[in-house]
Amino acid sequence: MTAFRAGRRRSAAALLAGLGLLATLAGCGAGAGSGTTTVNWWTWDDKQAIAYQSCADAFERAHPDIHVKITQYDSADYFTKLLSGFVSDTAPDAFMNSVQYLQQYASLKQLMPLDSFIDKSHVDMGAFSVGVNDWKYTDGKQYGLPMDWASAALYYNTDMLAKAGYTAADVDHLTWNPDDGGSFEKMVAHLTVDRNGVRGDQPGFDKHHVKVYGISSMVTVGNDFNGLTTWRPFASSLGWRAGNKASWPTEFTYDDPRLVKTFDFFRDLTDKGFAPAPGEFASAGNAPDGGQLLGSGKVAIYSGGSWEAATLDKLPGLHVGTGPLVAGPDGTRATVSNANGNVIWSGTKHPDQTWAWVSYMGSVQCQSTASRTGTFLPSIPAATEASVAAMAKQGVDLGVFLQQDRTHQLLPNSPYANGTALQAAVLPLMQQFFAHQKNGSVFPQMAEESRKLLTETD
Amino acid sequence: MATPPRTMVSPSSRRGDAKLAWLMITPAVAGFLVFFAYPAVKGVYYSFTSFHILTPPKWVGLANWREMFGDSVFWHSLLVTAYFVGLSVVAGVLISLVTAVVLHRLTGSTVIRGLILLPFLISGVVSALVWQWMLDPQLGIVSRLLEKITGSHTLFLGDSHWAIPTLAAISVWKSMGYNAILIFAGLQTIPASVYEAGRLDGAGEAQMFRRLTVPLLRPILAMVVVLTVIGSFQVFDIVQVTTRGGPANASNVLQMYIYEKGFGELDFGYAATMSLALFVLLSAITFTQMRLARAGETDLA
Repeated sequence: MTAFRAGRRRSAAALLAGLGLLATLAGCGAGAGSGTTTVNWWTWDDKQAIAYQSCADAFERAHPDIHVKITQYDSADYFTKLLSGFVSDTAPDAFMNSVQYLQQYASLKQLMPLDSFIDKSHVDMGAFSVGVNDWKYTDGKQYGLPMDWASAALYYNTDMLAKAGYTAADVDHLTWNPDDGGSFEKMVAHLTVDRNGVRGDQPGFDKHHVKVYGISSMVTVGNDFNGLTTWRPFASSLGWRAGNKASWPTEFTYDDPRLVKTFDFFRDLTDKGFAPAPGEFASAGNAPDGGQLLGSGKVAIYSGGSWEAATLDKLPGLHVGTGPLVAGPDGTRATVSNANGNVIWSGTKHPDQTWAWVSYMGSVQCQSTASRTGTFLPSIPAATEASVAAMAKQGVDLGVFLQQDRTHQLLPNSPYANGTALQAAVLPLMQQFFAHQKNGSVFPQMAEESRKLLTETD
Repeated sequence: MATPPRTMVSPSSRRGDAKLAWLMITPAVAGFLVFFAYPAVKGVYYSFTSFHILTPPKWVGLANWREMFGDSVFWHSLLVTAYFVGLSVVAGVLISLVTAVVLHRLTGSTVIRGLILLPFLISGVVSALVWQWMLDPQLGIVSRLLEKITGSHTLFLGDSHWAIPTLAAISVWKSMGYNAILIFAGLQTIPASVYEAGRLDGAGEAQMFRRLTVPLLRPILAMVVVLTVIGSFQVFDIVQVTTRGGPANASNVLQMYIYEKGFGELDFGYAATMSLALFVLLSAITFTQMRLARAGETDLA
C-alpha cells in the first residue's frame, strides 16, 4: 500500500515537473520558475561559436537573469534551418547573418530594425570601421551590427617556396597583369611540378600529370560566385567593381572588359596546368579547405580567406607563410571585405534581453575577448589590434590583414537583392566558361541576369 | 417462412460488410486526405500565387505557368531528367533482367539472392556518399585504378559530361537487386513445362529467353519499367549529396531545381507550379505505359 502510494506520489511529482518544464519551454517573458530568460543565438562558424562562448560567460555574470545559448549549424544547413525556424516560430532570438541574405529576410519581415535600440542605448556606430552600411536595408534602417570582416590572402608552403628559390619578400612584391601574368604567373609556373619533377616553366612539362600545383583553384570554388578568395582580388586590382552603385546596385558589370580579362587569365592559368581544374579536388559543393590542400602537399600556394589564418599557421609539420594581395599593373591591391552581421529575429519573445546580448557582442570588450582566438577579424579596430597582438604570441601572423585595413585595400561589400537567385543564375554560367563549354557569350548573359534579378521586387 | 433470409445475399448483410469495410479503410482514407489530397489541392492553389512562405500568398493567375514555359533552366532540367531516366531505365531493366535470369537458371541459393538485394537495403544518401568517395579524383579507389590502367582519370561527378551517366550508374547499382528479385519472382511463376516443351522443340537457351521468358514476363517487366521510370523521375537524394545539380547545371534534375527554387529562393509559388507540371507529366507517362504494355493481362493463361 505504501509502495503504491509512494509510486503515485512520485508520478504525480513527475507530472508536475513535466508541466513545469513545458511552462518554462513555452514561458514567454518573465520565464516561469527560475526567473532566467534564455536567449538563443546561432552561428554557422564552429570556431566563432567557441570564441563567443567566452563572451557569453562574461555576459551571464553581468546579467544573471539572462542565459545565452549558442548553437552552431554547418553553413550548408544553416539557412534552411533558419527558414524552417521562421516558419515554425522556433528561430533563434538573434543570429549571425550573411549580407547575401539581408534582403531576403528583411523583405519577409523576419529581421527587427535596430535603430530605436541603438538610439536608446547610445551605441556608437562610428566604432565600427567596416560593415555598417552593409547592414542597412533599402528602407534606410539598420538591421544588423557588423561582427567581423573577412578578406583574402595567399598562404604558401614555405619549404616549397625555398626549394624553388623564392623568399617571403618575393611573395610580398608579387604583381600581375592580365596579359602576361607578371611575376605572379612566373612564380606559380615555377612552383608547379609534374610527376617527373619537371617544373611548369621548364621544357617537357607534362600538364596532364601535375604532382604539385603552383596555386589552388582560382576559378569557381564550391558555390562562391563572388570569388571572394579567388579571382575577385585580381579583378579588383584592375579597378573592377561588381555593382554599378555602392548599395543596392541595379547591375553587376560582368561584361566589363577588366572582369573578362581576369576570367580569361585564370582559365588560361588552369589550362596550362598551373592550377587545378574545377572538380579536380572535389565534386560540387564539397570544396576541400586550405588545411587539406596545403597539408596534402598538392598545392604550393593556397588563395584563401582571412578566417583560415590561425588554422593554416598551426598546421602540424608544415611551415605556412601569409602573403598580401597581389598588386595590379598600377600597384593597386584591393579586395572586397565581407562583413557578417548580428541580427535580431522579429519574432523574438525577449527583444530587450536579446538586444542586451547583441549589443554586448558588438562591444570592444566582447570583440577583444572573442577575436583573441584569431578566428575572425572584428569590425572594431581597437579589438582587431588586440587580436593581432594575441595571435602574434601564438606564432600566427595576422599583420597582412592589419596592413590591408590600414592601407585602404578593403572595399565595402555592397548589399544586393536576391542573392540566392543570382547565385543560381550566375554560377552555372561561370562554370560553363571555365570548363570551355561557353566563351565570351557568358559575360553579357551574366550581366543581363544580374539586371533582371537585382531589380526584381516581390 | 420462418427461415430468416440470412443465407441469401441480402442488402442488409451487404450493408453490414460495407460498414466493416469503411471502418477498415478509414485510417488509410484519413491519411490520404490529410497527407495527400489536402497538400495536393493546396499545391494547385499555390501554383497560381506568388508565395514566399512567410508572407501570405498573392494571387497572380497564370504568371507562374507563363514563367515556366519561358524558363530555359526548367526545360534544360527536364532534358537532364529525361536523359537520367532513359539511362537508368534501359540499363537498369536490362541488367536486372539478365541477373534475374542467370540467378533463376543457375542457382537456387537464397544467400546469393540476398546478396544481390544488398545495395537496395542501403539508404540513398549513404550509397551516394560511398560512391562519391570511390569516385573522388584524388583519393577514390576507382580513380586510382583507372589511373593505373589508362594513365589518366576521369572527374566523374565533377565533369559535366560524366555527371548524369555517373549518377545513373549509382542509381542502377542501387535498385538493380530489388528489380532483379521482382523479375525473379515473375520467373518462378513460369511453369517448368513451358521450358521442357521448348527444349523438346530444340530451342537453345538464348532462343528460349527471347521467345518464352520475355513474353511471359511482360506484366512483371511492365511493372518494373513503370516503377523505375517513376523512381528515376523523382531522383533527388543522390544528386543533392553528390553534385547539387552541378557542374554548370549539368545534373540539375527537375526535383533539384524545384527544391532550389522553393527552399533556396523561397519562390514556393513557382516551385509548386513545376511540381504540378511534373505530376501531370508522370501521370501521363504512367498511363501511356500501362496501356502500351497491357500490364493487366498475362500470356500465361
